[in-house]
Amino acid sequence: MAILELEHITKNYPGVVALDDVSLSFEPGEIHSIMGENGAGKSTLIKIVAGAIEASSGKVIINGESFDKLTPALAKQHGIGVIYQEFNVVPSMNIAENIFLGDKTGNAISPDFKKMHKEAARLMESLGVHIDSHRMVGDLSTAQQQLVEIAKAISKNCKVLIMDEPSAAIAVAEVENMLRIVRQLKEQGVTIIYISHRMDEVFEISDRVSILRDGRYVATKKIHEVSRQDLINMMVGRELTESFPSRNVTLGENVLEVRNLTGNGDFNINLHLRKGEILGLAGLVGAGRTELAKMLFGDVRPASGEILVKGNPVHFRDTSDAIEAGIGLIPEDRKREGAFLEYSIQWNIPSMSLRRISKATVVDQKEADRLADEYVEKLSIKTPTVKQLVKNLSGGNQQKVVVAKVLAAQTEILIFDEPTRGIDVGAKQEIYHLMNNLVEQGMSIIMISSEMEELLGMSDRVMVLYEGRITGELSRDEFSQSRVLELASGLQ
Amino acid sequence: MNKVLDFARRNLAWVLLVICVIFFSFSPNFLTTRNILNILNQNAYVLIAAFGISLIMMSGGMDLSIGYLMSITGVISAKMMTEAGIPLPIVIVLTILIAIVLCTLNAVLSHLLGIPRIFITFGTMTIYQGLSYVISASKTVGISSTAYKFIGQGTLFGTNFSFALLMTIILGFVVSFVLNKTYFGRYIFALGGNKDAARLAGINVNKMEIYISVLAGVFLGIASLVLTARAGSAAATTAVGTEFTVITGLLLGGVSIRGGEGKINGCVAGILIIALLGNGMQMAGMNVYYQYVAKGVIMLATIGFDTYQMARRKIAENTRKEEPAKKEG
Repeated sequence: MAILELEHITKNYPGVVALDDVSLSFEPGEIHSIMGENGAGKSTLIKIVAGAIEASSGKVIINGESFDKLTPALAKQHGIGVIYQEFNVVPSMNIAENIFLGDKTGNAISPDFKKMHKEAARLMESLGVHIDSHRMVGDLSTAQQQLVEIAKAISKNCKVLIMDEPSAAIAVAEVENMLRIVRQLKEQGVTIIYISHRMDEVFEISDRVSILRDGRYVATKKIHEVSRQDLINMMVGRELTESFPSRNVTLGENVLEVRNLTGNGDFNINLHLRKGEILGLAGLVGAGRTELAKMLFGDVRPASGEILVKGNPVHFRDTSDAIEAGIGLIPEDRKREGAFLEYSIQWNIPSMSLRRISKATVVDQKEADRLADEYVEKLSIKTPTVKQLVKNLSGGNQQKVVVAKVLAAQTEILIFDEPTRGIDVGAKQEIYHLMNNLVEQGMSIIMISSEMEELLGMSDRVMVLYEGRITGELSRDEFSQSRVLELASGLQ
Repeated sequence: MNKVLDFARRNLAWVLLVICVIFFSFSPNFLTTRNILNILNQNAYVLIAAFGISLIMMSGGMDLSIGYLMSITGVISAKMMTEAGIPLPIVIVLTILIAIVLCTLNAVLSHLLGIPRIFITFGTMTIYQGLSYVISASKTVGISSTAYKFIGQGTLFGTNFSFALLMTIILGFVVSFVLNKTYFGRYIFALGGNKDAARLAGINVNKMEIYISVLAGVFLGIASLVLTARAGSAAATTAVGTEFTVITGLLLGGVSIRGGEGKINGCVAGILIIALLGNGMQMAGMNVYYQYVAKGVIMLATIGFDTYQMARRKIAENTRKEEPAKKEG
């Protein structure tokens, strides 16, 4: 009998279906990997099993007991343990205190510290780890903190342990030890749900693997019955569902060159961008794409390396220098970093150009208003009035306001970080048209995107990052989804 | 009718102020030019300090140290005048400079230690308090110079209208101009509205916070001069409690505790409400300790109202969310 079953789980967010009728079942004592691209619904799935979010419909069945509404407490009580990418440890407490956090040991007044440490030592011992349980968790390495998390889960008698990208945060040398412990847990009869992007680990450790794609269940396979290529095909295997407008641009000379750039988690980045070009930056979440963008935009200073704009070396002290040099960033999170949501469109659009349109510090209000009108018109931002607050606009129009703000600052090299995230299909098309128009007017674009179709449909050239390094560069005739995914997974 | 309501909502502080005035005018001595001017003259320094602090609060910061900051500045100023015998113009310049340094120190520490300004000023407040007592040797420093006293006590046009009040009005227009017409003012709102977006829009947030503190320091220095001159002396306790009056008044006047919102005319109304209530309670012979209770209640009610409005707006937004997505295209 399965220890954990998911029956027809669907999760809707406004405008997005994160999980669509997913059914999965997990056997006792198996290591079951779940794979899928960014946004395939893996995180949503584990959050539902952990009771952190509620499914819109469907059932979670734990050990034969069916739940429509699972809470974190219920899930824990029934033996579900989760180790998220962000650990849930209290750095200022010692190992034993962390393991038994929230548990009753000892009498009503004071916990039985002796018993706690003894028990903690026994648990750590059983994992084959030798760390003094009196040590502060904050002093431990990330890998050791992860072990504390595992010990914590076991102490709660966990039957199913969900691990979300457990190898992402720890050093390569420590992965082997973690995998050893995972195998050991399996021998003790614990079911492991292992979520990872890394093919090597998945093949090394799993009994079975399930694939999700765009929130839908694709297949479950025994690991020795599939090849890497099969997995990749299942993860990306879909027709292009969106059409991408064509454009007519002759590429010019290099407007941006990056030589041996290092810093902010990126290493030795070399790239160039030609006038009129859209350069796609591919990679998994955490591959260092956003970090690179922030360095190019002067938000973070590089440790070493050179940036040349139109052949001239530049050193940005802050973002205003980058804007001055003609570089604009449309950030990934438009609500948090892009727009001033509480203010009007008219306020937002000139906000990056205020200095330029000021005389003796006094803002030329007429010019500011003209800029707002001009760009509302140019980008066809749909709003009854320019006085509308940006927070009241739809996602697509909010994004256009951010683009307008950047364009109004007379920038020519635009970095779009996830330009269409959280925007519905119709508005996506408009953003694509807009990007085409921009390069046709002689601007150049670096586009960071996790959406494969968008990346391949829009870019002239794609560079792939993996763990802060460029693992490959593909020109249009070399474009293929599986090739990008291979490079993004660190396979050569 | 809707327009009237909308206007009232946007100018809540003025509505409250009018209600206060109507209420107090039942007392025969209240609505005389003399009494009104008295109240205004008395509160000139509070208004000037509030102009300075409004810049900090609108940019999303908070400063608790201003009371003792003004005390210490006042004590040093009085000492320079009386004991060191420095000429008045130089004393004025030095007084303002000291206020600038002390106010900017808060911003610098906040930046260096990476701790929000409110906690920094919680510490510097106590430091400034201690220093005020040390420098004044716990004594009141008197001022004999009539020229110095004129800054706080002098009247114009043979009426009760004080020089300080004239200065307050001018400074009010100045700060309003800075906030609404200059890019510096826009940057202040940008910081208060969304610090991350401001940084990515090419605004050097750290530098801006320093500049804002320098400007606020100027206002605090002038406020301190006015207060010291009006009292004719300075002591470690002279300006204590100003921070409370100013912050409550600004919140009442529509400055959001989260920053990004506020108008100078609202601030003026907010401060005047606190002033009127203080005056009223005094005239009614209310025990000073009860006045503290009343002021505390007003402050909490104001913050509560601010938060309540915020929450309501959030709810309104969330229910609206799904709808505009459909309108797209």
